[in-house]
Amino acid sequence: MSTTEQVAAPVQAGGDTGPTRRTGNRLKKFWPQYVAVAPFYILFLVFGAFPLVFSIYLSFTQWDGMGPQKFVGLAQYRYLITDGRFWNAVENTFIIWFMSTVPMLILALIIAFLLHQNIRFKGFYRVAFFIPNVTSMVAMAIVFGSVFSDSFGLINSAITALGGKEFGWLSDPWGIKITIAVMVIWRWTGYNAILYLAGLQSIPTELYESARVDGASMFSIFTRITVPMLRPVILFTVITSTIGGLSLFTEPQVLLGNDGGTGEAGMTIVLYQYNQAFTQFDFGYGAAIAWALFIIAVIFAIINWRLVSERDTTKPKKSRRNTPAAPTSPEASR
Amino acid sequence: MARITRRSLLAGAAGLGALAAAGGLSACGSQTSISSDPKELVLWYWNRSADPKLLAEAAKEIPGSDGYHLRADVLGGTWDTKLRTSLAGNAYIPDLTFINSNVSLYFPNENMFLDLNDLGAQDYKDEYFDWKWQLGVTPTNRFCFFPLDTGPTGFYYRADVVKKAGLDPDPESVGEAIKTWDDYVEFGSKLKKNAGSFIEITANTIFGQYINASPERYFNKAGKPLYMEPSNAIKDAWNVAVKAIKAGVTGNQQNSTDQNAAWTSGKTMGHIEAVWWAQILADTAPDSKGKWRLASQPVRAGNSGGSFVCLPHTCKDPEAGFKFITWLNNAKNQATSFNDVQLFPSAIKSFELGTMKSSTGFFGNQDPLSFFNKAAQQVPTSFISTYETQAAYFSTEITNVEAGKNPDQAWDDAVNQTNKVLRKQGVEV
Repeated sequence: MSTTEQVAAPVQAGGDTGPTRRTGNRLKKFWPQYVAVAPFYILFLVFGAFPLVFSIYLSFTQWDGMGPQKFVGLAQYRYLITDGRFWNAVENTFIIWFMSTVPMLILALIIAFLLHQNIRFKGFYRVAFFIPNVTSMVAMAIVFGSVFSDSFGLINSAITALGGKEFGWLSDPWGIKITIAVMVIWRWTGYNAILYLAGLQSIPTELYESARVDGASMFSIFTRITVPMLRPVILFTVITSTIGGLSLFTEPQVLLGNDGGTGEAGMTIVLYQYNQAFTQFDFGYGAAIAWALFIIAVIFAIINWRLVSERDTTKPKKSRRNTPAAPTSPEASR
Repeated sequence: MARITRRSLLAGAAGLGALAAAGGLSACGSQTSISSDPKELVLWYWNRSADPKLLAEAAKEIPGSDGYHLRADVLGGTWDTKLRTSLAGNAYIPDLTFINSNVSLYFPNENMFLDLNDLGAQDYKDEYFDWKWQLGVTPTNRFCFFPLDTGPTGFYYRADVVKKAGLDPDPESVGEAIKTWDDYVEFGSKLKKNAGSFIEITANTIFGQYINASPERYFNKAGKPLYMEPSNAIKDAWNVAVKAIKAGVTGNQQNSTDQNAAWTSGKTMGHIEAVWWAQILADTAPDSKGKWRLASQPVRAGNSGGSFVCLPHTCKDPEAGFKFITWLNNAKNQATSFNDVQLFPSAIKSFELGTMKSSTGFFGNQDPLSFFNKAAQQVPTSFISTYETQAAYFSTEITNVEAGKNPDQAWDDAVNQTNKVLRKQGVEV
């Protein structure tokens, strides 16, 4: 990002000469810089911007990815609104997002809080908690498939050993959602814990010390100091988890295949989009789903933005209360 | 230092820019064929879909062609997406390509493939199983897709489980006991009751294999849906699957870990699948070697899988390409391919040569080769429509029934959903 700013800045500062001469001059003057940033922009135009714009066009056509493209106007979107399978996918996405994000962030916060204490082998634990995030998804799917397998899985073996009844972790609608959520939690908790840990380290130790001097318990230190001071980081992780949750694809795909399992209980929005475009070869509809997802994402971006800006308006009051911490908070979120 | 900087830097940058522009331009005016060598034909195939020995031979020279040679490129992963992309972009198209059993996906764009009848394919028609040959004929009666291997199906079962259930485990008597689909479900009930074993992993397998053995499928050649007719094969297949679900003879084992464990442990004792499954089974359940047998499935054998080879419209030399196709698939070479990579022949004469080696042992003393040869002769001729992709929702719904959904409701939902998608694609239903 910094490169674009560097290029853009002199252009704006350009000056007061005539408009045509100025542009020519500037091009002449700065063209080595333009050439220098060109590789990124050419690649971005070809693989980023063009597909983006083309998908808008595609969503107004009926196309099998090979034959002639037939312009159908808004037919794909009209179909989308009445498509129960799409709304099922939206519902699934939100349920799985909720079921995974809430426990994941709480767990990550607790782990980070514990890792922040003076314990031995800190580095080892940090690496250990981050490893799931960089593990191959295919390997993970095989392991999860075995662990949650209906009649031969570890979980069901444990349940039956304890006298419970076998549960269809991969065939029951709720079982499927729980399994996917667990997979998401397993993969992303460590990542979020590391982010929280970075945030924790920017909280001045004096606060903790004075709290301890005042005789505060561990729990009240956690709820009264750690959580409020971590607010920007928590907001950041909520935003990234929302983005990740809305575009959930790999976990259900490797676990259940392209059809989302029994009753399409594991069908998420992006998996449905992939299914329509690359197994049904209905690229027009796939593109329409992509843009519907975009609209949903925009709505959430607005909600997030409102949350963040609300925080900004209350900031002066807060910073007066917790003077030393306020300046450090923006850094923590990066 | 100072002398070089600006000018040479600019020159260097200009040179790089020109290079990039040239690269970009050449990509725009790209060639339609992959190889620029006029005597080289490029073939796309996937791993184990052709005998590497034969491909190596053709790489030197395609027998009978005028000095052409083959370059065989293995393509992995999303096959159809890659092939369709190159055809849609009209660039870097192979001169010959394999296509899997889903050739009907290409029917709407059949003009992108050459009609092999124009090259004299009619003369070879009698050498191959007719049902296989007909699958390569498009709805407008062009013959674009030449037979490679086939997948005649049979009933794989664990003889030890049948014995445990107090039934005769002999292939002949098992085949006799499951002569009709009703018998099959009843046989399954006995196994369930006496040995606690399922006859099939999922109801969807029964549904699918019933259709694979049926002369009538989802659509007719004109693209008219048949599943709404008063009496039709899809509804019959559905009813059999529902009956099996109600009798509790399917395991509702939806993921492969469960399925493999079920076959290994004997919790599920059978599977109706094509000849190529023997290899997969031997790999996944090596410990059950010798316990498996093959019996004729209810009514008649079907076909599951088996690929095709075709010539895209941009083929450099169709005659040479066709020479390669007929050479690769002559009876002798198909028999060799069977021995080397277990591709089950579509050429009838391959079986008469006596060179095909049957790998016994996994099925006890039973010879799988002669079993599937017999099965291949029963496979009915049928028509697979391009719209079957859209009809995949029937499978989703039969799985829902297995999970407890009301079958009548599920059937209506499947029909409505399929019709809805078809209407969106501009098909009258």
